[in-house]
Amino acid sequence: MKLTGRVVNGKNVAAEALVLDRPFSFIGDFDPKTGRLTIKGHPLDGKSLAKKILVCVTGKGGTFAPFTAYEAGRKGNAPVAILCEKMEPILCECALVMDIPILDGFSASPVQVIRSGQMLSVSESGTVSFREND
Amino acid sequence: MHLTEEERAMASGRFGKGIKRSMDLLVKFGQAFGASRMVRVASAHIMPKGPIDLLKEFTEGVENAPTFCTLHPFMSAFDPEKWEGMGIPEAFASQELPAFNERLAIYRRLGIYQTYTCLPMLVGNLPRKGECISWIGSCAQLFVNSLLGARTNRDGAVTNLAVAVTGRAPYIGNFLDENRRAQLLVRVRHMKGGLSYTDLGAIGYYVGEKARDRNIVIDGLPPDLDLSRSLALLAPLPASGAVNLCHIPGVTPEAANVSDVIDESCERISVGKEDVTAMKGLFGGTGPVDLAVFGCPHCTISDLKTLAALLKGKALARNKRLWIGLPYQTYQLGQAMGYTGEIENAGGVITSSCMAAIPDAPFPVSVKAVATNSFKAAHYISRLTNGRVRVYVGELEACIEAVTGGVFRQ
Repeated sequence: MKLTGRVVNGKNVAAEALVLDRPFSFIGDFDPKTGRLTIKGHPLDGKSLAKKILVCVTGKGGTFAPFTAYEAGRKGNAPVAILCEKMEPILCECALVMDIPILDGFSASPVQVIRSGQMLSVSESGTVSFREND
Repeated sequence: MHLTEEERAMASGRFGKGIKRSMDLLVKFGQAFGASRMVRVASAHIMPKGPIDLLKEFTEGVENAPTFCTLHPFMSAFDPEKWEGMGIPEAFASQELPAFNERLAIYRRLGIYQTYTCLPMLVGNLPRKGECISWIGSCAQLFVNSLLGARTNRDGAVTNLAVAVTGRAPYIGNFLDENRRAQLLVRVRHMKGGLSYTDLGAIGYYVGEKARDRNIVIDGLPPDLDLSRSLALLAPLPASGAVNLCHIPGVTPEAANVSDVIDESCERISVGKEDVTAMKGLFGGTGPVDLAVFGCPHCTISDLKTLAALLKGKALARNKRLWIGLPYQTYQLGQAMGYTGEIENAGGVITSSCMAAIPDAPFPVSVKAVATNSFKAAHYISRLTNGRVRVYVGELEACIEAVTGGVFRQ
């Protein structure tokens, strides 16, 4: 299956998806020292984001979030791309600090269509390919 | 997106790696949010915190910051000179001090003003109406956008740094006239007895959550709000919500009247006594207090005068602490006026650091309860300590009573 989105900081990347059904913040929802999600009570709490493709609804505020994203990048704990329903300034800034691509503007919501664990191929022009039955 | 010849040269690396890295981020960010071009900014105000390697990466090869640029407070309440007197743990200090010194060396090289306050407009960085700027700090953003009619976006700490380093920002968001109108009209219903400092904070805290990230206009406020009480109202708006522009008709420069900034379809809410009581109830109760905290946002010289009068002849009870945050430039004025002597004789510690203790909240282990007059400080201190520290909100007198022999009552 293919999704086409609007891409910022395009690169060719292939990795496993981690799909989060809500807005995400690098500060509060994530520990840069371990690369794991820190969302109390959520099924994905404790799951590693490191080297995965984060698929989320959008971002949310936090002046300090880009510092946390930078730390994650330095430790090898950063995701390698972000796909979201709607671009949000802090999430975009975090992606740029980690120098990874961030995409939005898909014709279908990536959160609905992609499942955690699926292998995704993201092209620098904004195409996301994956096998539906993975 | 249109770039000038100079901007293209900056992005190509002709002016060094730090400018290239900064410009690369700003151009991509601008493209993401539909910027037609960059603008020169009139000033910047940046966050003295964050990974040193990041600061080095974005300032590599930069000899002078091209913008008038000031610094936010020492964060996490960590004042390099006062931390011991404040009771901040040595373990925290030993990791912060080297970082502070490394950052200072870079700020000195770049000629960035060492203001260390969240209210730099009080100590030399005063934007004019309409100026495009990049300022960190949600209260400062609200102040300059609303009370001065200057224009800053809610840049994250790295975008903000990149703007300071290049002197450029993408032309988006609050820079544009059409994004400065209000989407929520708040009517303050009449409350008998007037509005105290904490009443105003309660209104701000209540409205923030309702407004989320929309621009607002607040009608029905008393016409004589001084600077300190205006800040009490504004500071909590981006704590419970994410507001960064608040018009007040007849007061703020872009709204002579409510109708100047709203459309017919604007949502309307009102706020009254019961809402104020409910917000105070979130931080209410009776009990012992280990630490009283004032200066979120930083105290003005008038606040300092009031505190000196309240503390004159008093002394902190055993094992109690009092922190007062303000720009150290205001401390110097306060010294000349005799205010700081009264406060320090009582046992208070005056500091140029962040009194909401954002982001690390390194409170001494012995601190189990804090009293403050700031809803913003209360919001952050309780969350950043994961509820370990109980926070009460009350007027100055109630908070001072709690650390000078009594308990807190609200």
